[in-house]
Amino acid sequence: MDDILTVKNLNKSFGKNKVLKDVSFNVQPGKVVGLVGPNGAGKTTIMKAVLGLFDFQGGSILINGKGVSITKHQALSEVGALIEYPGIYPFLTGMQHLELFADDTSTDKADIQNVIDELNIGSYINRKAKAYSLGMKQKLGIALALLNNPKFVILDEPMNGLDPKATKELRNLILDLAKKGTTFLISSHILSELEKLVDEIVVIDNGKIIKQTSMEDLSDSNGNYLVLTTTNDTKAREILSAEGVTLEKSDKLKIKKTSDDQLAGLIQLMSSHNINIVDVQHEQNDLETSLLDLLDNDQVKE
Amino acid sequence: MVTLIRQELFKLMHKKSTIIGTIALLLLMTIFAVFSKLQPSFSDPKGEFIAAYGGTSWVVFFMIAACSTIVAMEFQYGTIKELLYRKYYRGEILASKWITMFIYSLYFYVLSFIFSVILKMVLFNSKFSFSDIYTNDQSVMHVTLVTYAGSFVGLWLLLSLVLLLANVFKSSAAAISVGIVGYFATSIASSLMFMLINKWEWLKWNPLNMLNLSDQLSNSTVIGTLTRLSNTELVWGNLVYTGIFLFLGYLVFRRRNV
Repeated sequence: MDDILTVKNLNKSFGKNKVLKDVSFNVQPGKVVGLVGPNGAGKTTIMKAVLGLFDFQGGSILINGKGVSITKHQALSEVGALIEYPGIYPFLTGMQHLELFADDTSTDKADIQNVIDELNIGSYINRKAKAYSLGMKQKLGIALALLNNPKFVILDEPMNGLDPKATKELRNLILDLAKKGTTFLISSHILSELEKLVDEIVVIDNGKIIKQTSMEDLSDSNGNYLVLTTTNDTKAREILSAEGVTLEKSDKLKIKKTSDDQLAGLIQLMSSHNINIVDVQHEQNDLETSLLDLLDNDQVKE
Repeated sequence: MVTLIRQELFKLMHKKSTIIGTIALLLLMTIFAVFSKLQPSFSDPKGEFIAAYGGTSWVVFFMIAACSTIVAMEFQYGTIKELLYRKYYRGEILASKWITMFIYSLYFYVLSFIFSVILKMVLFNSKFSFSDIYTNDQSVMHVTLVTYAGSFVGLWLLLSLVLLLANVFKSSAAAISVGIVGYFATSIASSLMFMLINKWEWLKWNPLNMLNLSDQLSNSTVIGTLTRLSNTELVWGNLVYTGIFLFLGYLVFRRRNV
């Protein structure tokens, strides 16, 4: 299927400071894609460029095959977004915000009610927005992004200011909408928030895309280790090093799992040197650690 | 485009300042009219009716505030992103704000006129009638309408400059302050300007000189010697400068990163 979003070789500088360096990634329809990276990596800048809020020095952005730039916005007709913090007019009520931005008069009443129910904001929707708490504003911002049934929704740190219950509700709502075919691009610097949500992640650091991968691949490629306990760990370590097996930094014999028959080979190797393996543990890194490893490796390369 | 104007009007109508501005205008006009009724020796009932009992002068302040706010508030509240990422061109978004402000200024002018008529009927009905001759063989009503039209054109020259400045500031308060201070500064500078025009003729084409349009329309012989421009030249000068300032505002807005 054709991509709903294609970003190719995007470059952006603020003065001499290069904030995006040849950023390329794509989003397929119906997927939930996470844009992950440390603070200041360029997540928001990418999202703003995709929404045609920035001019950029090089590269291209296509939504449904149509180009987007600061002067070309037609492709954004079916896009909803929440960037940085929600833009709220203090003198309007939540309801008036929704009425203001609802675009189809024949269906907007039902659509507005639908969004209110889904986000559970009915109890304060008729109050003036200047009295809203951070979380309430955030929810209203998300409601505005989901209004008018967009096909592609861009959310920048959507869990900001939400309590655990609201976070869970939002997660379920996103998954629900994704099942019905809505595509999401969601940024976060906290991977655990996205873990249960996204199909794919795009890892960004220092304005560069480090990796675009499915969630399973990330945990498989980075996360699985064998931890061996032997009758003579010191000698075993020497043997493994001599055989060219890379050991992880640990006081235990920790080896990155590369294949399923790896363990059989290790047992043979040890028994050929008269060392018995008394225990084998499978350790799995959580995604947070996998991500940090990825970022560390990136810094090592530089 | 119609959607965008509808959205801007929706926001304008729900702002407290809109209703406060309206009430303040009516109140100020009433106070002015009542004072001149109580002090007849200082007042010229016809002249005050033509000046909308101060109404059209007050409208300048309300409109400077409104024009500064309509652009700067979007940056202040962070709602500019919400406006700009949608399918519309930036030019359309800016134009919808201009048109909304144009409608708002028309509203204030019509309100000033209707309320002036009411005040005249209630307080000064016996003093004069609309068909009385005021100056140059023209009736009070005729002079009133010409004065309104002249000050409206001049108002828009000022507002186009305010809309340009508001684009540069990110907070409504800063934009309003600069707008109002600038307005006073120009009136102070105008006598200096007349001296300079006297020395260098070509300076008569500067935009500050154009602001004298409504004064010249109601008192063409005196002011005309100072501005050194005909009424027609002044009207065209106003319109051309308004166009230039709005276009500059568009150029700034079009390329602005948010």
